[in-house]
Amino acid sequence: MKDDAFSKLHPAVNVLFFIGAICFGVLLQHPVYLLAGIFASGVYYFLLGGRKEIKNLLLMIPLFIFITLFNPIVNTRGVTVLFTYFDRPYTLEALIYGVAVAATFVLMILWFGCYGKVLTGDKVTCLFGNLAPSLSLLLVMVFRMIPNLLQKAKQIIGVRSSIGKGTAGKSSIKDKLGSGMTVIGVLTSWALEGSITTSDSMRSRGYGATKRTSFMVYRMTKTDWVLTLIMLTLLGIVVFFAANGGMNAEFLPERNITPINGFNVIGFIAYLGYLMIPTILNVKEVIQWNISESKI
Amino acid sequence: MKKSNVAMLIVFLALIPLTLFLGDKLPGKGYYITGVLIIIELSVPFFMAFEKRKPQARELVILAVMIALAVIGRVAIPIPHFKAAFAIIMLTGIAFGPEAGFIVGAITAFASNFFYGQGAYMPWQMMAYGAGGMLAGFVFIKNKIPKKPWIMAIFGFLAVVIWIGPLLDTSHIFIMMPEINISTITASLASGFPVNVSQGLCTALMMLVFGKPLLEKLDRVKQKYGMLEDENGI
Repeated sequence: MKDDAFSKLHPAVNVLFFIGAICFGVLLQHPVYLLAGIFASGVYYFLLGGRKEIKNLLLMIPLFIFITLFNPIVNTRGVTVLFTYFDRPYTLEALIYGVAVAATFVLMILWFGCYGKVLTGDKVTCLFGNLAPSLSLLLVMVFRMIPNLLQKAKQIIGVRSSIGKGTAGKSSIKDKLGSGMTVIGVLTSWALEGSITTSDSMRSRGYGATKRTSFMVYRMTKTDWVLTLIMLTLLGIVVFFAANGGMNAEFLPERNITPINGFNVIGFIAYLGYLMIPTILNVKEVIQWNISESKI
Repeated sequence: MKKSNVAMLIVFLALIPLTLFLGDKLPGKGYYITGVLIIIELSVPFFMAFEKRKPQARELVILAVMIALAVIGRVAIPIPHFKAAFAIIMLTGIAFGPEAGFIVGAITAFASNFFYGQGAYMPWQMMAYGAGGMLAGFVFIKNKIPKKPWIMAIFGFLAVVIWIGPLLDTSHIFIMMPEINISTITASLASGFPVNVSQGLCTALMMLVFGKPLLEKLDRVKQKYGMLEDENGI
């Protein structure tokens, strides 16, 4: 997704955001905070993927219900017994706790989905380029080699089918397996021979002669610094309120959920604000675009 | 003492106990964060050792080829749920030793997530795949155990069922289970068992059919171009 405003920021800012979002998504079990997390991650997931992601988002609902209903079966603690089966109690508290567990799970799926779309391979290698040069180079080569090998594999499969050695949908498993092994074998030989050419070429261009420098596509701009500062401030506020018990929620054996009122509202607003940063950036960009368009 | 050994000592004696101590105080599902941190701390010394050695171009390229093969293995064999990755990772470990096995395993897990979608289980995947490659390297080190196809097949099956599979299944305990106790641990491991057996059979089959040809190919490249032999060479 290159159109997303948040993705255009420095990768370090993106990573910081996701670390914060995922850590607090896992740590805070308060229902209202979980709801805020699901809302923010769902909206951003939708912004990143567009209409075709609606199906994935809807798939979360049965998952959510299943985990919620499943939890009281494993977990029999709780005061209010709804009904008993095989002498095991099915408690209301465990059911409510199940909602929190399910929400955490859905939250993680959504945030990791966003993470996968924002932090593409080039950003990861850019981040680790100076820290672990050999590993990032390895990763870059892998990213380039995968499409390359896929293309070659398709060629090999095509050639084999044109000489009558291909496998169709109704071939037996044994045939498919044998054919697959041959394809992998040919692919391996080809790739290994090719790798020698690559490495010789690398050596003749002086790989390993001196310290490697890397070209940085991303630079920390003023926006990046400002956003980092904002994110750290918001995280600080959240940590402060969480440490003072403003976000506590206990489910078992008795429900004890801290209400969000008075000062605790500030903590909630800080958390929601933090999570909405990518969405706000996107909305801001759209508005700016429309304004500048209307000026023309 | 080598720098990576010092790092290893620091990790085991200070960082992991500290993480466990502080992680215990985290609210909610803080154990997920603790788990991820410990996996990262465990793998850093390995990656550091790899970096410090300044691997040469040929080694890097060969490892990249093996990783790419492991990632796309499922495209070449058009059978659903047939995973070639474990076998390729283990064969790399067998051919080039424990370190190469670990690197290829861990990076395979990391890279394949970019192609098949990111998930919260990624650190566990890296650890399990890496550990599988490393184990294969240690078991077949210095030709003490003959690299016969059927021996590798049995090893592959056992390694997936009792080593890689359970390591992968621990991610379920940390991610899906509401709390960690004996019953949720056994439930997670038991639910993963059938999948592990089927993956183990795939790996064994792969080793049986593909093990010898691949090792021969790698040997041929090694011999033809004299690579990965002397430490400072190439």
